[in-house]
Amino acid sequence: MGDQNQIRVENRGGLSILDITGDVTSASEPFFSEAYKHPDVDGVGKIVLKFDEGAYINSGGIAVLIQLLAESRRTAQKVGITGLSEHFKKIFHMVGITRFADIYASMDEALQAME
Amino acid sequence: MKLGSGYLFRGLNGSQLERLTASTRNVDVDSGEVICREGEEADAIYLLSSGAVELVTMVNSHIELPVSIVREPGQMFGSSALIEPHLYTLTAKCESAGNILAVDRHALQEYMSEDHEVGLAIMTNLATYLLSRLKESRQELKIHFKTLLRSFRA
Repeated sequence: MGDQNQIRVENRGGLSILDITGDVTSASEPFFSEAYKHPDVDGVGKIVLKFDEGAYINSGGIAVLIQLLAESRRTAQKVGITGLSEHFKKIFHMVGITRFADIYASMDEALQAME
Repeated sequence: MKLGSGYLFRGLNGSQLERLTASTRNVDVDSGEVICREGEEADAIYLLSSGAVELVTMVNSHIELPVSIVREPGQMFGSSALIEPHLYTLTAKCESAGNILAVDRHALQEYMSEDHEVGLAIMTNLATYLLSRLKESRQELKIHFKTLLRSFRA
């Protein structure tokens, strides 16, 4: 699996979009950590994590997302997720991530629900 | 797909690879098919020729954790077959139909015992691979630990 990610941060008013490219593994932690500290994300009330449809997220990647969701819960930031394949929607539901973040079918749906 | 493209067989020469090729069989796999199951006796090591295979582990009867995706030709899985107690440590499920090469574990072990140069090369490659997996697992553990510590402090 690739160990490099690119996370592009975009701010739309009170909402930040983290556009994530590549597979998500434990090696992704510094990329997420850096993106989370970005001025366009830090302190923003709502965050959308946008994944590549073909991206693979392994147990290490799930650990990174749980870390981010725990932090966003502590800072009362609402998190939405989009771009997941059906496979990962099922896994996120199984491991309980959906209790801390809503999953949306598309970016439009996420924006509409969260803005 | 040639065996030499698999990490386990790096450093082996042409005749050594040729001998090993005689112990392999081509297997077509369909999407959703389980190739090997965690906990079962491991009688083959696999090398991907085409398609994609997902490796997962069961946390409990309801939660199946994704470990890795094998989607580059030449990537291998099932190497726990070479280590006692010769059981698969992960379940391999075909994610996208393709073809895999199955290397017979017994024939491979026999050759490794006969030719110690081959045995050393394969076990060195296996140790390097397992060390990288260990580092990855430790990194994952550290992430969980940091999350846990922060939750206690909150």
